[in-house]
Amino acid sequence: MSDFEDKHLDFVLKHYLEGRFDTQKAIQRFNEAHGIVQKPRRRVLPWVYGIVAAAAAVVLCVFLFRDNGQQIQLMANAEAQEFVLPDGSEVTLAPGARLTYKEKSPRSTQLEGKAYFEVARDEAVPFEITSDGAFVRVLGTKFMVDAGSSVKEVYVTEGKVLFAKSSDAEGVILTKNMQATLSPEANVPVIAVETDVNSIAWQRGSFIFDKTPLRDVLETLSEHYKMSFAATDLDKQLSGEFYAEDLDLIISLIESALDVHIVKK
Amino acid sequence: MPQPDNNINFDDLFRYNYRPLCLYALHYLQDADLSEDIVQESYAALWEKLQEGTHVLNRKSYLYMMVRNRCLDHLRKKGIPTESLKPYDTYGIIDDDDAQERSQTEARLWTAIDSLPEKCREVFIMSKRDGLKYEEIAEELNLSVNTVRNQISKALKVLKEGVHKLYTFFFA
Repeated sequence: MSDFEDKHLDFVLKHYLEGRFDTQKAIQRFNEAHGIVQKPRRRVLPWVYGIVAAAAAVVLCVFLFRDNGQQIQLMANAEAQEFVLPDGSEVTLAPGARLTYKEKSPRSTQLEGKAYFEVARDEAVPFEITSDGAFVRVLGTKFMVDAGSSVKEVYVTEGKVLFAKSSDAEGVILTKNMQATLSPEANVPVIAVETDVNSIAWQRGSFIFDKTPLRDVLETLSEHYKMSFAATDLDKQLSGEFYAEDLDLIISLIESALDVHIVKK
Repeated sequence: MPQPDNNINFDDLFRYNYRPLCLYALHYLQDADLSEDIVQESYAALWEKLQEGTHVLNRKSYLYMMVRNRCLDHLRKKGIPTESLKPYDTYGIIDDDDAQERSQTEARLWTAIDSLPEKCREVFIMSKRDGLKYEEIAEELNLSVNTVRNQISKALKVLKEGVHKLYTFFFA
């Protein structure tokens, strides 16, 4: 037989049962499990509405297009946007960030701005991120790269990452909860002594404080929301997790928790 | 959208890939019901990602990856070492692309067997799977040996065409 081989047929026949692997039944089962009502053909699936709504919510901030040379470019303009890359790696781009790669080599990426990565493991092909004056190589892990300003920053939540100025420069190895920065005049990144869990607050959607002085709390908030704050009793300590969507709510929670008054400037 | 794959809506993604994915899982698990469950779960995971507004750049390979990972997780939980577990067949180890292609070929064969008239399918399975001789099948089903021979050659013809006529079968 030239069109298929005996081993294919053997395997199929070994497991064949009439009615098994029935695609129509599987679709029904899926639709029932997800509350989807089957309509006549040519319908617009509910998930399409989901995508449209999501797209509207981010105010047309995501562009996917193909340049010449089959370059793929991902962008997030107004809100953080999550992508699954062709190799299965997941990337959350912070507002304004841009990730590009060649269609042929999706694990060699260029980054502008800030992004959080959950890299799919593939020991044969390292995942690499290059930005202007920084280079990161990984083998499957979760970490954040901030290539947005002149000082580049990498924060690792899981796994192992090589961080260097370029692919052939001397680098540092970062593991879980380690953070390093690279300033333009330095050749090797510097590992931060105290790491800041709130570096990835924008990705996680919340701030975590643990007996943190109000002074540092406000500094974290001002970095995230790009505004300044003034308050009384800056030495009071705050603990807890605060969800990042609503700044005014966070402020009023802190005010009542610590019995202080906070003013936005 | 950068890849043609993304023009396919979720419904078609299901229609084209459900059976190949089941067969892909079946090679790992050797259990048809479990394979169907894992394929359902993988579609559900993709569905949720899309609902959240995530852009999945190659949905088909993402599905294959999720099915494989779930199969390996399942085997690991049962205490089967998976470090060295690669897609394999009776002739040795094959790579991921070949494993996907194999599953598609097998799915087409499966569909072609489904499409055979009932008697023809019965004769074919008795011969090819159960290894019965034409004479034995003839006796068992009360047919002439010539009829058995004709039915089997008819079945093989349908199967050979079936592996090519992907669209006919999947749109049927």
